[in-house]
Amino acid sequence: MRLTTVRNWILAAVVVAAVIGFNPHTPYAAEEIVIGSLNDMTGATSDVGKDYAMGVAEAVAYVNETGGINGKKIKLYQFDYGYRIPEALTKYNLFKKFGARAVLGWGTGDTESLSPTITKDQIPYISASYSAHLTDPKKTPYNLFFATDYSTNARAAITAWFDKKWPQHKEYGKRKPRLVCSYMFASPYCSAPIKAIKDQAQLLGFDVGDDQDVSLLALDTKSQVLAMKQFQPDLVWHGNTTMSVAATLRDAYALSLGADHIINNWGIDENLPKLAGEAAEGAMGAAVCAFFGENVPMMKHIVEYAKKLNPGVPPEKRMIRTVQGWGAVLLAAEALRRADKAGGELTGQAILQKGFETLREFELGVGSAPVTFTAEDHRPAGKVPIYEWKGGKFNLVEQVDVKGRWPEKWQKEWLGW
Amino acid sequence: MVCNKIALYCMRIVLAFTALSFFPATPIHSAPAIKAPVISLAGVEVAHYWGYWFVDKKTEPTKGKLPANVGAPLDLAFVLNIKNPNPYPVQLEELKFTVAFEDFELNTVNAYETMWIPGDKTNQVRVHAMFDVATSFLSLGATGGFQLQKKQVSAWDQLEKWWTGIQTFSFPVRVTNGTARFTSGVKGVISSFEGVYPPKASK
Repeated sequence: MRLTTVRNWILAAVVVAAVIGFNPHTPYAAEEIVIGSLNDMTGATSDVGKDYAMGVAEAVAYVNETGGINGKKIKLYQFDYGYRIPEALTKYNLFKKFGARAVLGWGTGDTESLSPTITKDQIPYISASYSAHLTDPKKTPYNLFFATDYSTNARAAITAWFDKKWPQHKEYGKRKPRLVCSYMFASPYCSAPIKAIKDQAQLLGFDVGDDQDVSLLALDTKSQVLAMKQFQPDLVWHGNTTMSVAATLRDAYALSLGADHIINNWGIDENLPKLAGEAAEGAMGAAVCAFFGENVPMMKHIVEYAKKLNPGVPPEKRMIRTVQGWGAVLLAAEALRRADKAGGELTGQAILQKGFETLREFELGVGSAPVTFTAEDHRPAGKVPIYEWKGGKFNLVEQVDVKGRWPEKWQKEWLGW
Repeated sequence: MVCNKIALYCMRIVLAFTALSFFPATPIHSAPAIKAPVISLAGVEVAHYWGYWFVDKKTEPTKGKLPANVGAPLDLAFVLNIKNPNPYPVQLEELKFTVAFEDFELNTVNAYETMWIPGDKTNQVRVHAMFDVATSFLSLGATGGFQLQKKQVSAWDQLEKWWTGIQTFSFPVRVTNGTARFTSGVKGVISSFEGVYPPKASK
């Protein structure tokens, strides 16, 4: 081979290497997309927050190991804020300093407190708070989440009970059904859907009793249960997290309250029957996605990454919260991919408009309803599967299509609360 | 003649691409499987201490205002030994672990500072974990409420025991579900670890 030919081959190889080296889609591209994650691993919601936080980190590892964001890796900074709103604001500033393109948030209190700031900064904030207050893009354009909102979930749970359980009641047709709400009044998370619950109760023709204030840390709720008993409710809506819901179910069972129970999604998980025992039998609620280990498309990876990244936590201790963490990350990743693919700078506005708001009936694979976001409506979905704990497992009672059943109210009245 | 040369160059580039495409994920030098570095808890230190107290948010402070209920902070430093069993350097990318006082998990700490560990050497890393009475009360209540009820101990008594006993480590401080991510620059590996301090303490 002549010397010039060798030189030409070397030159060609250098050109190819240079092209590959600069191609952002190669597996070893250096560019990273920073995402911050605020989690409660120590505070009042750590009973559900720790598992969620693990799910977030595991899902990010999965995204990075399966192509990332069009070849770019996510650099995740995950911090505990102990459910303290001032610390959430401080950590948010730290994420900004790191150059975060999006933030995975946690509670309703901090999410609603941060909402004006993230709107001003134009940073998409994907929270674990599914408060309906965050779904109207005219007010909170950069707040998003993957699951059906608390208000829609509560409307669906009341409706499922009304459809399936009330007709079996011995007093059915003789009087109105009775509902009371049990939750921590001071907690923004717990009280977020109360207005919608009362509205749905009126729509379906319930009598509504006095709300009962139950702390998120309550272990003894006998006084609240006795107060409920005077009203003789047929149905109790629980708005707290798992531990205090379990305490209330136990006391309701012990004091023979005689009501059925529907629970907001952060109060119904694999731990509920462990903590409440037989008092959990028949408890219903909106799960928003699959339970850990349930047969949905992404579960194989969810279980695999749980074992791989957190080998110290046995799979039997993992919960639906892990799956919710995956839902948030997979939603954010899809929006980032779309915005990145659309070209231009990956600004918050681009992620919102070229990412999130292009999603139509998008299936995340975690057992949640397919998500749709438009520039006018950030409610991800209107169909809510309602589960019941019965015979040692969670069984689907009914999938309530809130949007389809009341299309006019959904469209014109219910957005944002 | 010029056209032929250009065509030849183009063909060479295409051929070189084709050849490289058969090895899309092959790193520049093929590396053996990376052995997971071994992490052990060398010790726990009380880095800063403010005693035991709790103030309800309704209390009027001497200066400023209380954002919420507040309690005595406690700054613990966890010193970890990270031994690299590989003959080449590896980089620590991130590390996290959960801290439990006795059997009650109170905190999870993430550290994102990176460092290279030379081949066959051991580095030390110090990770601070901040606790406070008010947040720990919430954590204890939310996750350990039924456990405490079974022990017939109130959350406040339990916290006081820990906050006063930490000066002499009169109870075991446990590190659980520790994981760390390492890379050799080409391959990655995850190490898991746990530990207890004082070392003699056991369940």
